[in-house]
Amino acid sequence: MKIVTLISAILFSTLISTAVNADIKLSGYGSIIAGKTLGTVDDPLNPGQKRDEILTADFYDVGQYTNDITFNAESIFAVQGVADISNNLRITAQVVAKAVDDFQPEFDWYYLTYQASDSLTLMAGRRNIPMYYYSEFSEVGYAYPWMRPPSNLYWWQVTQFNGIHAMYDFELGDYSSTLTAFYGNEYSNDNVEMLYYDKLYGGSARTVNEFWTDIAGVNWNISGDNFDVRFVYFQNDRDRETIQQDGSIDDYTPFSQTFIGFGGNVDLGQFKILFDWNLVDYDDARGTEFPTYLVSLVYNYDDYQPYLIYSKADHKRTKTSSATEDLEEHYISSVGLRYNFLPTASFKVQFDHFIDQGDKATGWAYHGDSDTITAGVDFIF
Amino acid sequence: MNSQFKCQKWITLLFLFIANLLFINYSTAAVVVVVHPENNSTFDKKSIKKMFLGKSKSFSNGRSAILISPDKSDPSRNAFNKSVLGKSSNQVNAYWSKMIFTGKGVPPQEMATASDIISAISANKDAISYLDAAAVTDAVKVVGTFN
Repeated sequence: MKIVTLISAILFSTLISTAVNADIKLSGYGSIIAGKTLGTVDDPLNPGQKRDEILTADFYDVGQYTNDITFNAESIFAVQGVADISNNLRITAQVVAKAVDDFQPEFDWYYLTYQASDSLTLMAGRRNIPMYYYSEFSEVGYAYPWMRPPSNLYWWQVTQFNGIHAMYDFELGDYSSTLTAFYGNEYSNDNVEMLYYDKLYGGSARTVNEFWTDIAGVNWNISGDNFDVRFVYFQNDRDRETIQQDGSIDDYTPFSQTFIGFGGNVDLGQFKILFDWNLVDYDDARGTEFPTYLVSLVYNYDDYQPYLIYSKADHKRTKTSSATEDLEEHYISSVGLRYNFLPTASFKVQFDHFIDQGDKATGWAYHGDSDTITAGVDFIF
Repeated sequence: MNSQFKCQKWITLLFLFIANLLFINYSTAAVVVVVHPENNSTFDKKSIKKMFLGKSKSFSNGRSAILISPDKSDPSRNAFNKSVLGKSSNQVNAYWSKMIFTGKGVPPQEMATASDIISAISANKDAISYLDAAAVTDAVKVVGTFN
């Protein structure tokens, strides 16, 4: 019965998109995912106390799994409308509703696209920051084999920005190449992730506002018959307002950060290798660095894609006066299976083994170890 | 009576399931790539592949290409994806979902029947599509046949 309802819902949405095809093209994606962690750990921030293992699957909105099975950590529904204003000017809006956010719809994407020529595309408005290889489509579960891009890399408190992009397509021998330059700002008021950290360490701030400004950089994408790779570099200024209950604002020293990364995928017959390597570097007094990487192997067998992932994140202070590596550090080993049961929908199941190697004495092992099982369906329409 | 009906239903379902498997795995119908008769551009498998993945946007005659594809349910689409793009339909759909929802590409416009495709191609000098070889007519020009 539920399948019938689902099918009629899909048919209905297809009818709508056909009916209004002349003016606005509607499409969308979504995921319905349930999961739980399997055990308990010594609470790293409250030694001697036991708590449920926790896996943070979505850092930006703090979507987490505990011992109680939940659909609310990662389930998501998004609708995109594209309207052609003229031959070479179109507007795109994407409304995203996440279960972790009580399904409150938000305009996560809202931008103009101007096709200046066959090789030059200009975009202006609200989009995701092209940080990691999967950053721009990390919420489109249907677009990649896994349940999610490894969350111990995709952990940043800012993922979107308002700005401009210039995309230039060109041929590089036999390969297709796209060079993208971008610039923008993000004033993330009431940042969910930063307020969560404040509470986690015993704070009682009213709210935290996180500012990433003058975000400027380039993406360079190269693809051939059996590979797609992308290089990224950007820099931006960072500032933060932690506002206490009495209205006072904590001291904060602004700094700049640079982000570099190289990622992509390579087809080797039935196998596919996916990888991403990144380094975030602060120009703060401590010389903070976050080197991270992931590597994954996927096997394509008909409609089945079993896969393995290993992802590692580290945190260092490199200035001699405060040099240390006893900070945040963790890895996730995952195993999973994607089964494409429809041309537009897939079932996935994944097991994640999270090991927290952070420094316990200084509170950097705040995640704690966890084993998590998740299962769900990703779809597009 | 009731159990007989149930049994028949299951046999029908099983039959459909097996037919479906056979159809997906062993479909060998030829697919032809078609353009307007006046389009004198040169075509090979590589240039067609790049066009239908949105990686090149114009013909060798310099005009911007307008991409049309059969519906997702059309068998010729599976055949084209396999033989020209070298990917399963799911892989192609996953690729386009990345392009669509990041605004980096516009997928081919979908059309429901071969006759819709033929009339669209014969009416537009810059359109390109593909269909089952058995459905092609003189109104369009065949620039590639793939098995």
